[in-house]
Amino acid sequence: MENNGHTGPLIFSAKDVEIKFNLRGRTLTAVRGASLDLYQGETLAIVGESGCGKSVFTKSFIGMLDKNGSITGGQIIYRDQELTKFSTEKEWLTVRGKKIAMVFQDPMTSLNPVRTVGEQIAEVITWHFGTAHAKAKEEAIELLRRVGIQDAEARYKQYPHQFSGGMRQRVVIATAIACRPEILICDEPTTALDVTVQAQILELIRQLQRELKMTVIYITHDLGVVANVADWVAVMYAGQIVEYGTVREIFRGAAHPYTRALLHSMPQLGVKGHDLYSIKGTPPSLYKEIRGDAFAPRNPEAMEIDFEEEPPMFKVSDTHWAKTWLLHPYAKEYREQLESRTRQQHESRKPTPPFNYDCAEKLLQVKDLTVKFKIGSKEFKAVDNVSFDIYRGETLSLVGESGSGKTTIGRAIMRIYNKVDGSIIFKGEPITGKLPRGEAKRLRLEMQMIFQDPMASLNDRAKVDYIISEGLYNYHLFDNEADRLRKVEEIMGEVGLSSEFSSRFPHEFSGGQRQRIGIARSLIMDPDFVVADEPISALDVSIRAQVINLLNKLKRERNLTYLFIAHDLSVVRFISDRIAVINKGRLVELAGCDELFSHPLHPYTKALLSAVPYPDPDVERGKKLLTYDPSIHDYSVDKPSWSEICPGHFILGNQRELDGYLREIESCS
Amino acid sequence: MEEKKKVRQLNPLKFRAAIFDNMLSEDVGYSNYSYWRSTLRTFFKNKAVLALVVLIVLIILMGFIYPIVSSEDPNKASLLPLTWNQRPSWEHWFGTDTLGRDIWTRAWYGVRNSFLLAFCIALSDVGIGMIVGAIWGYNKKLDPIMIEIYNVITNVPSTVYLVLLAYIMNTSYLTLFISMASRGWIVEARFFRNRILSIRDSEYNVASRCLGTPMRRIATKNIIPQIISLIIMEAALCIPYSIGNEVFLGFVGVGLPVEAITLGNIVNQGRASFTLHPYQMLLPTIILCIITVAFYVIGNKFADASDPRNHI
Repeated sequence: MENNGHTGPLIFSAKDVEIKFNLRGRTLTAVRGASLDLYQGETLAIVGESGCGKSVFTKSFIGMLDKNGSITGGQIIYRDQELTKFSTEKEWLTVRGKKIAMVFQDPMTSLNPVRTVGEQIAEVITWHFGTAHAKAKEEAIELLRRVGIQDAEARYKQYPHQFSGGMRQRVVIATAIACRPEILICDEPTTALDVTVQAQILELIRQLQRELKMTVIYITHDLGVVANVADWVAVMYAGQIVEYGTVREIFRGAAHPYTRALLHSMPQLGVKGHDLYSIKGTPPSLYKEIRGDAFAPRNPEAMEIDFEEEPPMFKVSDTHWAKTWLLHPYAKEYREQLESRTRQQHESRKPTPPFNYDCAEKLLQVKDLTVKFKIGSKEFKAVDNVSFDIYRGETLSLVGESGSGKTTIGRAIMRIYNKVDGSIIFKGEPITGKLPRGEAKRLRLEMQMIFQDPMASLNDRAKVDYIISEGLYNYHLFDNEADRLRKVEEIMGEVGLSSEFSSRFPHEFSGGQRQRIGIARSLIMDPDFVVADEPISALDVSIRAQVINLLNKLKRERNLTYLFIAHDLSVVRFISDRIAVINKGRLVELAGCDELFSHPLHPYTKALLSAVPYPDPDVERGKKLLTYDPSIHDYSVDKPSWSEICPGHFILGNQRELDGYLREIESCS
Repeated sequence: MEEKKKVRQLNPLKFRAAIFDNMLSEDVGYSNYSYWRSTLRTFFKNKAVLALVVLIVLIILMGFIYPIVSSEDPNKASLLPLTWNQRPSWEHWFGTDTLGRDIWTRAWYGVRNSFLLAFCIALSDVGIGMIVGAIWGYNKKLDPIMIEIYNVITNVPSTVYLVLLAYIMNTSYLTLFISMASRGWIVEARFFRNRILSIRDSEYNVASRCLGTPMRRIATKNIIPQIISLIIMEAALCIPYSIGNEVFLGFVGVGLPVEAITLGNIVNQGRASFTLHPYQMLLPTIILCIITVAFYVIGNKFADASDPRNHI
């Protein structure tokens, strides 16, 4: 094959790889004939929903499949070596870590908690090269410095728990590049990290790649990250590569319906007030044999042929390949028809007018809320002096990084934490502290919560029917059994679940379906106000869209008010009317959605906005990353206060800073 | 990545929109995993476990059925020295003891009585332990007191305690029950307290609280179903322990009165004449071994099988 737009020589090639697992006596085909070529110095991103075989496929390159899995077909060739022929660990170790290294999602699983990080890196060096201990230590310190860890000598002697999440990931990267590998596989390297840290880690990997001339494979489900880092993109679905091309070709002219669906379901690309495009259902079960195009059952625009024959790889351009029947000459007419339909749909969409605050009524007021936790004998303020109002009918989003106290605020409002300072007023009545029994019970009817993790928040020993009607039982909101069943059926229909599902157990459902069960459970109480605590952060891109649409639909139909807690600004923009940004327990800025995105004032908000990956390769590459340094605030004399700098725009700052912000607003307008 | 040759001629008519079935797209993610089915399957996959379960069920059934159907009196002592210490024969399968009583008959009466005693103790240990453990797990304030109680009870050697209690009170089934049940519960309570503490603040319990679910329903619907397999396992492990204790107390001489037929007494009587008539100890010891070993193995294997991490 000629070089097809690649810059370096071909170094690695996987051909028609098939990987099977034995699970509970059944065979699961996780990878069904996937092929991939890697060229020196390039970055390839593998994209797909969870359960598409991305991780398994790349793990097979270094012989790290679980015990019950094996490569049953195809070839993996690395520099004239046939890796599938390797049978012993010893053979694999000539490649694994040395030539092809891997960085995993959770840094804590790859580090040994009882040994210092320095030792762990030095060990890798001694082990692969037989370097003397003193020399290895020197090299390890050099590596730590190289991955951007300050004061590397002192850090060498520290244990993993003394590092923050981002720093740990840096250490893992240092271990991975210790042997100067040719290929670095990063399996969701930043999924567990905050956006600002994510941006730094991506930058680090990019810089190391340039210095060491590595080939990097990213496995990710975040298209924003892909747009940022990748030269080439491979889209994987149901154990196959369905589309392959340069990053611009994929983002601008995706050919496969699955790739298009993934791109369309990004909330960044949605139009406010309209439904996001969402992919129905879940990826297919790989236990069964798949006939035709695996994506067809979830594709509303599938053709009949898709259900019958498996499409071959069609060539779109020299660098762009896609596995879909849409590219067949016979499908030309249908394809054009589809394209004109999508164009029409896009043009007809106008964003809805913003929420009108002039005659809005305050539903919930939070004043000087402070929540303290005791850790041992030390007291620590998770939420510090936070004040905001929520108006009836709006969606207020609370955005912040992990540990910023956003969930604590939600839980304080829900009275899960009872010991708080300050006041929370709901419908004109204070709801903090001890309330009379009846009062507290009545509040539960009006306020409900949607939880983050759909796996942990449903009792997996109870049937869906019981889970959904739990609230009905507690308040006797039904006349008789038939009435209860009718109500359950009604709400299940509303969240898009078949009523047959009610006799099943939660573990039989996918993440998105479980989250919908969780939503049904809260909404059957018919509340006015809902705290949605990161309801979509544990979900896949495609499923996020389903849940966002559902939340928006329910808001319209039931006139709900949401407090939406999230860590991802991009998602929040699509659904919220106002956004509050929280950092280390303090609100730093609160403004209308468009106002905040167009005129962010606080340096933390600016940094957060710049770090959010945007699914467009040209935007991503052109952007400048801002970092937030809390030491720029000099609050030693002049204490900061929470003030309304212009109507509806609140910010935290002392007098001097506020003056600066005011000047900034004036210069903008 | 080469374009594959088309093998068959394609029908151009097939290149038109298909009907979209919403249910089809929703249903693909369905898995028919069931916790109890998986637990039982993992449990019985081991054939040795299956054999032990069958064996133990047979022994216990025998212990309960034999006394009903048999006309033999286990306490029928004979005054004829000829019938004493007989060797195994057709008439007496495992021989007779020093008073001419049939060992086979006595063994099954012993199984019944010992098992009933052990079962009651297991029931009270696990039952009381679970209730106390639940209260303990939910009230942090109880921690200092309960840990002291735990330390005091567990730090007194169990043998000394058992011997002392059995010595003070008259020997009877009730004494034995009280002496064992009065200390076993605290170990169970601590075990359940740890378990409840770990699931108490899990997200689905917080969710239930947000829905206004009363404590009673949270306990019966959320917590007990989660730990039911642990309860079964603990009860299973309690039984061999109690039987062992009963035998031990008989051995040190503070067990049940001699006329009570329990495995402990039979083994002890056999031991007394072991040098002359070793066969007298044979049957009761074998049964005792089978019961204790089997319950241990079953309890442990069940614990393994009930752990969802082992459900592959």
